[in-house]
Amino acid sequence: MGGFSEILWQQQSNLPLLLILQLLPLLGAALVFAFGERSTAVIIGKVVALVELLLAIVATSRINPTLPALQLAERFDLIAYHVAVDGLSLLLILVAALLTLLMTLYGMSRGMISPGRLFAVLLVAEAGLIGMLATVNVAWFAAYSALELWAVVYLLRRWASSRAEIHALSRFIQYQSFGWLLFAAGCLVLGWGHAEATGGHWSFDLFELAATPSQGKFQTAAFYLLFYGLAVRTPLFPLHGWLPNMAQHGLIAVAPALMVGVKVGIYGMFRFVLPLTPTAVAYWQPYIVGFAMAGVFFTAALAFQQTNLRRLLAFAVVSHTSLLVIGVFSLHESGIQGAVLLAANFGLAATGMWFIVGFVFRRTGTTELNELSGLFERIPFLAIAFLVFGLAIVGMPGTPGFDAAHLVLEASIATFGALSTVAAALGNVAAAGFLLWAFQRAFMSPHKQGKGGQDVDRTLPMEYLVCGIALAAILAIGFFTEPWLRLTETASQVAAARYHR
Amino acid sequence: MSLPLLSALVFLPLAGAASLWLLPARATRYVVAFTMLLTLLLATAVLFSYDPAGERFQLIERATWIASLNVQYLLGIDGLSVLFFPATALLFLGSLVASWNMIHDAPRLHYSLMLLLQTATLGIFAALDTLLFFVFWELTLVPLYFLLARWGATPASPQVAARYFLIMLAGGIPLLIAFVMLAASQAVPTFDLMLLLAMPLPRAAQTAIFLLCLIGFGVKVPLVPLHTWLPQFSLAAPGSLTALLVGLKLGAFGLIRFAIPLAPGAAQDMHWLLAGFGTLTLLYGAVGILGQTNLRVGLAYASICHVGLAVLGLAAMTAQGVQGAVSLLLSFSVATGGGFLLLEFLRQRTGSTDIGSLGGAAKTMPLLATGFLICGLAGVGMPGTSSFPGEFMLILAALQSHTGAGMAALFGLSVAAGAFLALYRKAFFGPVSRPEVEQAEDLRPRERLVLVALIAMIVLIGIYPGPWIDVVRPAAEAWAAGLVR
Repeated sequence: MGGFSEILWQQQSNLPLLLILQLLPLLGAALVFAFGERSTAVIIGKVVALVELLLAIVATSRINPTLPALQLAERFDLIAYHVAVDGLSLLLILVAALLTLLMTLYGMSRGMISPGRLFAVLLVAEAGLIGMLATVNVAWFAAYSALELWAVVYLLRRWASSRAEIHALSRFIQYQSFGWLLFAAGCLVLGWGHAEATGGHWSFDLFELAATPSQGKFQTAAFYLLFYGLAVRTPLFPLHGWLPNMAQHGLIAVAPALMVGVKVGIYGMFRFVLPLTPTAVAYWQPYIVGFAMAGVFFTAALAFQQTNLRRLLAFAVVSHTSLLVIGVFSLHESGIQGAVLLAANFGLAATGMWFIVGFVFRRTGTTELNELSGLFERIPFLAIAFLVFGLAIVGMPGTPGFDAAHLVLEASIATFGALSTVAAALGNVAAAGFLLWAFQRAFMSPHKQGKGGQDVDRTLPMEYLVCGIALAAILAIGFFTEPWLRLTETASQVAAARYHR
Repeated sequence: MSLPLLSALVFLPLAGAASLWLLPARATRYVVAFTMLLTLLLATAVLFSYDPAGERFQLIERATWIASLNVQYLLGIDGLSVLFFPATALLFLGSLVASWNMIHDAPRLHYSLMLLLQTATLGIFAALDTLLFFVFWELTLVPLYFLLARWGATPASPQVAARYFLIMLAGGIPLLIAFVMLAASQAVPTFDLMLLLAMPLPRAAQTAIFLLCLIGFGVKVPLVPLHTWLPQFSLAAPGSLTALLVGLKLGAFGLIRFAIPLAPGAAQDMHWLLAGFGTLTLLYGAVGILGQTNLRVGLAYASICHVGLAVLGLAAMTAQGVQGAVSLLLSFSVATGGGFLLLEFLRQRTGSTDIGSLGGAAKTMPLLATGFLICGLAGVGMPGTSSFPGEFMLILAALQSHTGAGMAALFGLSVAAGAFLALYRKAFFGPVSRPEVEQAEDLRPRERLVLVALIAMIVLIGIYPGPWIDVVRPAAEAWAAGLVR
């Protein structure tokens, strides 16, 4: 049972980078809010998002990914503030920063309602995401999670008008608050268990909790609560009910991208559930993986039933999330590495697809598949970008999905044998099936009367920019995977080493 | 070798595709033609720099690609692959001529995709790292999907394209798993084909890898019962595209290059499986021609029939068998590929390749009819055509190792020849019944160029096969020797 070690920030950088990463978006949000609806607010929002991305890149360059310790650590014991990162969390922090930047650009590409307010909330959500990825304290994780959820609920509420939208919103709140409460309860159980073991000293700190893992029933209970809390968030089949409704009726692109663009659920399982409840994880592993494998197929089957592009994408997310869970719970170093890389890849690709759906909606006012047709003729760049994002989700060579999927497959062969691996991989082909099917209906089918034909506008410069950045990131990571593998390798080995006893 | 000749060859078409977007739109076709000619020139240079008596693998280019997974950018050629480069270059050039005046929508995109497909195809023949090979293998799907979905011959083309894409994607999974298992079976995980060939594997792993590869490549070959996509594809796609897909037997090449040599023990144990699939495919293809009313589908079944013969010959696991298989596959690039190109000319004139709407086409288009007959005769292995040496070696190899299957193959081939001639007679002879056929013009000068090139190659290689066979022989012997360990 390896404990955790850390390297303090003073040794690696002359600034507390992680603190700045967390505070900058909050500060930016306050500024944007203060400027209200003036155009300065919009500019500030974009600049803050850009600076945040640059800071994340600086932080990545400062750490040494070959060391097993968590790095850039900061502690402030009075409020139990404790943050530290490794290659895996930095990868996701980069994704979070990049996606926020793209969302600020997306929001501006055609006048959205009240961009100032939108940007402020967006930056708050970013702060929540970065906080979750940086902290190594379970209670802080829960608190940041609440902050981010609040931001998303605010977005949905502000732009919910129709009955269906309000219904989707209430469903979202029910699911998320339930999941959050489960997670919070799990935290309490962990803290209580720690208090029992150490004679009354409560703690939620990952390092201390891992040093004295809770025993027996405490561990099982904590595992259940944490796992299901995160499973709602992820969303793991069958706890995905909130996503399709929200995707169909909520604010297009921004809201779903915030919820599933950065896979904090998967990250939480990797960061907290695996090290803190090792016995329970090892015991329940086959059930979780079995469920996830079933989930890949079941959600793929559901996706084929969808007639709305937005709902279909939501099911695609649920389907590939199951693959991530298989990777993490293979408890194998390649599996964990592959799962986190896949998570980054899915985040980028799925968000890119959501953006394109948003662009299409702005042109046609619908995302019903049988009302869309022949879009390829008018917006070929967006069509090809949509297909490339889809292929990235399927793990086509040349996208980061390929190396990541290949790592997950490798781990899955080693842990569960070739047969179940083939089954899981076939599920992925099913995903390719429905994405291609949707692509065909919306973009390639011969132009019908009505919406979606010659009357749609050509691609706008801002749309080229948003999709171009996402595409370039996908292809660059896909063909030059080496640095990303190096960034995540040691951290995955450390995580997997806990299970080789 | 100081110049990276192979990399230049593989990526030249891609560079051409990029340059299309920088140059004025009206220059598009000429830039493509120039790129493809240059590719042909480079392919010929590669052929001449190959020394049959030298090392097994030559012109090797090696660079680290993904260090932590030990994946390399590793290109090289051997006697089995070297002839495929000029064949690919020629076929793409032919396909360009066949689609010269036909692409009115978004020609830049069309030709960029075509050049991307050429890069991927050349990469498949050149890659010596299994994972690099897989990348090129899957990369062919994207341009093929768009070429078929966007520029297909029928309204159903997008559906067929999607189906093809998914079937091939599903076929890729067993391949990827086999390659990962192969890499993991080594002390230091590696995807380097030359290292993998040198290291014997445990028998149990071999069986799994051979079966996975057989499924993965079998879909592409196509082996019956994994062939269902091909007749559909040939109907939905313009002939210029089908020629590329059917003319280049990537699946059979994969069997020769990877499936058999990487798991030699298992392949020899399961030679009956290979021979059985080969024979079944051959007979099924031969019988399949019988019921067809469309020349394109008929030609697709003929190609299924012949690739079955190649697989049957491979099952003999001898130098003769593999030499025959490679010669036959190359001859098909010319014969079947050429046949589909001529059918595309026919379709452009009459709007159909259905025999019901053709009748008497030989009267108005004698050159086209003659050309198609010669391609067809080459397709059925008539002596004096380029297919004959390969077919002869294959039948000989099959008769020696699997006598029963060899006899069945002989029977199947005669059925195929008869069925094909019957189809031909109905389409090209008899009275002219439709005005489209009556007013059709025979081949124009540009098309005649394709015809002459095709016939010259079919006849020359048929009459004087020596040099080609000599290029393949040493590599085929090394291949067969590698199986006996």
